[in-house]
Amino acid sequence: MIWEVFRQEKTGQYHTHCGNVHASDREMAKQFAAIQHGRRKPTNSLWVVPREEIGEIDSEDVAFGGTTDKSYRWATAYNTTGRDASEVVESEDEQATAERQRGDD
Amino acid sequence: MAASLENPDELDERERTALKTLLKRLADDEFVLAERYTEWQVRAPSLESDLALANNAQDELGHARLWYDVLGDVGLEERDLVYERDPGDFRHSTLVELPFEEGDWADAVLRSYLYDVAEDLRLEALVDSTHPKIADRVGKIRSEEEYHLEHAQNWLERLADGGEGRERLQDALDRLFPYAFTLFEPCAPPRGANEASGDEPRAVDPDVEDDIVDLGLRDATLEEMGEEWLSIVVPYLESLDLELPVDGRADDGADEFEFEVTEAMLPEERGRDGTHTDAWFDLYDEFTHTYRELERTETTRIMDKPE
Amino acid sequence: MDLETAKERAGPREFSPADDLPEEYRKAATRMIEFHANSEIMGAYLERPFIRQAPSIDRKLAFSAKVQDEIGHGQLLYRAAESLGVKTREEMLDDLANGDGKFLNCFHYPMESWVETPMIAFFVDGAAMRRQATLRRTSWEPYAHAMDKVCFEEGFHVKHGEDILAELMSGSKKEQQLTQEAFEEWWPRIIQFFGPTDDKSTHHDFAASVGLKQQSNDQLRNAFLDQYIPKARKYGLEIPDEPRIRERDDGTYEVEEDDLDWDEFFTIAKNDYEPGLDQINGRKAAQEAVQWVRDTIEGDASAAGGHAPQAAD
Repeated sequence: MIWEVFRQEKTGQYHTHCGNVHASDREMAKQFAAIQHGRRKPTNSLWVVPREEIGEIDSEDVAFGGTTDKSYRWATAYNTTGRDASEVVESEDEQATAERQRGDD
Repeated sequence: MAASLENPDELDERERTALKTLLKRLADDEFVLAERYTEWQVRAPSLESDLALANNAQDELGHARLWYDVLGDVGLEERDLVYERDPGDFRHSTLVELPFEEGDWADAVLRSYLYDVAEDLRLEALVDSTHPKIADRVGKIRSEEEYHLEHAQNWLERLADGGEGRERLQDALDRLFPYAFTLFEPCAPPRGANEASGDEPRAVDPDVEDDIVDLGLRDATLEEMGEEWLSIVVPYLESLDLELPVDGRADDGADEFEFEVTEAMLPEERGRDGTHTDAWFDLYDEFTHTYRELERTETTRIMDKPE
Repeated sequence: MDLETAKERAGPREFSPADDLPEEYRKAATRMIEFHANSEIMGAYLERPFIRQAPSIDRKLAFSAKVQDEIGHGQLLYRAAESLGVKTREEMLDDLANGDGKFLNCFHYPMESWVETPMIAFFVDGAAMRRQATLRRTSWEPYAHAMDKVCFEEGFHVKHGEDILAELMSGSKKEQQLTQEAFEEWWPRIIQFFGPTDDKSTHHDFAASVGLKQQSNDQLRNAFLDQYIPKARKYGLEIPDEPRIRERDDGTYEVEEDDLDWDEFFTIAKNDYEPGLDQINGRKAAQEAVQWVRDTIEGDASAAGGHAPQAAD
C-alpha cells in the first residue's frame, strides 16, 4: 500500500507534499516516513495519507479559474487613488503575482 | 460557407437583423439564467455547493457580456441591451426566467442540465461561424460550459438516487420540460428591424431563423439542434427513472430515436417571440432598480473591452 | 498541556490540532473563530441582494464574486474552528440559524440601497481586513492559515468597495448626497465595529494572553481611523460631528465613547435587535429549505460506507 507524505518544516507552516512510502498500515507508514522524509530536511511534523484515498482533478479535467476574463475579481482591476492601508497593498501585490503566474496578464 | 461577415459597416439589412437576432438570443439566455442562478448565493445546500453555483452564475454572466459586446459593432451598448431595454424586447427562452421556489435545488440542477445540453449543441454550431468574433469567442465559452454540464449531471445522479430527491426532480421535470422546448423556438426579430418586427408578441419571422443558417452565422437549424437535444436528454432522464410529462416518443422501439414536439406541448409564454411570464417583469424591475433610482445613463465598466 | 504552559508557549502559529490544549483555550478559540465565520456568512447574506441590483454587468460580476469569496471564507473559518474539537460546522450553522450564533454588529443592520454598499464593502471590509492582517499571527495555526487566504482575497473586496464609493462621490449631486447620508448613518456603527475600548472588553485579556488575539480593540480602531479617515475625506465625505474623534499629539485618535449608542450595541450583541433578527431568520429559512438536499446526500454517503471523521480530528 502506498502512503503519500506531507512535511511541515516548522511550527505554523504548511504541510506540503514531499514524497511517499510503501507500508502495510498507518503505524508502519508513519515510522517509515519519519526516516525516509524526516531525517535530513528540517521537520516539525509529517502527515501520511493513503494514496488511494486521494482524489485528483487536473487541468485537463477542468479549466481552473475559467477561460473568460475574470479580472473583476482581482484588486488590480480597480484604479483607486490615495494611500492604501498596508494590508490592502500586500493583498494587491499577492494578487498581481498570482495573476502573472496564471498568465492572465 | 458564406462569406465572412466581419465588417459591420458592410452588412445589409437582412444580415444585420440575423446577427442581432442570433446574438440577443445567446446573450439574453445567459444573462437571465445567471440572474436566476445568483439567487442561490448564500442559499445553496452547503458552503461548497454555494461556491460552485456562484461560479457557474459568473461564467454565464461573463458569456452574456461577451455576446452583448459583439452587438457593440452594430451600435448597441450595454445600456441599450440591458438597463434601458424594454423588457418585452428580451428574447431569452422562458425556461431561464422562471423563479426558483425557495429550497428547490432539484429545479436548479435540472434546469441547468436541460439548458447546458442545449448550450453545448448551440456553441458547437457556432464554432465555424462566418462572423469571426463569434467564432473566436466560442472556444473560451465552451471550456467553461463543460464544468457546468458535469456539475448538473453529478447532482442529478445523486438526487435521483434517493426518495425525496427523485420526487422533487420529477416535480421539477413536470414543470420545466415544456419550457425547455422554447429553447429551440424561433425568434421574433428585434423591434423595428423590419415589417414583421417584434412590436407585437408572436410576430415571429421564420425568415430570420433561415437567414442565420443561410448566412453561416450558425451552421445548424433550430430544428436540428432541438432533435439532437431530445435524443440526448430524453434517454438520460429516463435512465434516471424520471418520467417525461409529455408523450412524444415516436420511435416505437425502432433503432432511430424519434420524438415529436407538438404545439400543444409548448407553454403559452415562449420568450423568443417576446411573450414572457409575469416573473420576468418583476425580475427586470429588480435588476434595473439601482440604475433607474440613481438616474444613471451609463453602465460602469471594470474590465477592458473584450478583444 | 495546562493553561500556564499554553500561555508561556503562546506565539504566532504555535498551536496545531496535534497539540493537547486546555479546554479554556479550545473554547475561547472556538468562540472567536465561530464569530468570525458567522460574520462572513451574515455579511454575505446582507450583500447578496446587490448582486441583482448592481447597475452594470461588471459590477454584478464583482458583487457575485465578492459574495462568493465571503462564503469561501466562511468555509475556511468554520473548518479552522471545527479543528479545535469543540463544535462541528453543522452545529455552528445550526446555532447561527437558531439565533444563538453571534456575529459582527454591522451585519445586523438592514441595507436597502446601492449607496450603502461601500459602507460595508469599503469601510467595514477595510476594518475587517485590518483585524485579519493581525490575525495571521494568531496562535491557532489553522486560523492563521485561513487568514493567509482570506487576506490574499480581501484586497479585491476593499478595492471594489472603494471604487463604488469613488464613482458615487464623483457622480450626480443626488448620488453624492445620498452617499453622504448613508455614511452618516453607518459611521457610528463602523466605529463600533472594533467593540468597546479595551477597559470595557470582556474577552480580550484571555484571548491576548494565549496569543489568539494580536492587537487590542483600541490599537485596531486607531490603525483603521488613521487609514480610512483620510480616504473618506479624499472622496469628499464629511466626517459626522458625532461621535467626537480627537487626534492626539502622537497621531492616535480618541473616540468619545459616550457619543455612541452602546445600548443598541449590546442589544445587537445578544441577537435581540429586531432588524438583525429578520436577517437571522431569513437565512434560517433558506438553510432549512435545503435540508432535504443534505439529508439525501449524506444518506448516500453513509449507505456507501463512507467513514465518519476521526474523533481526534
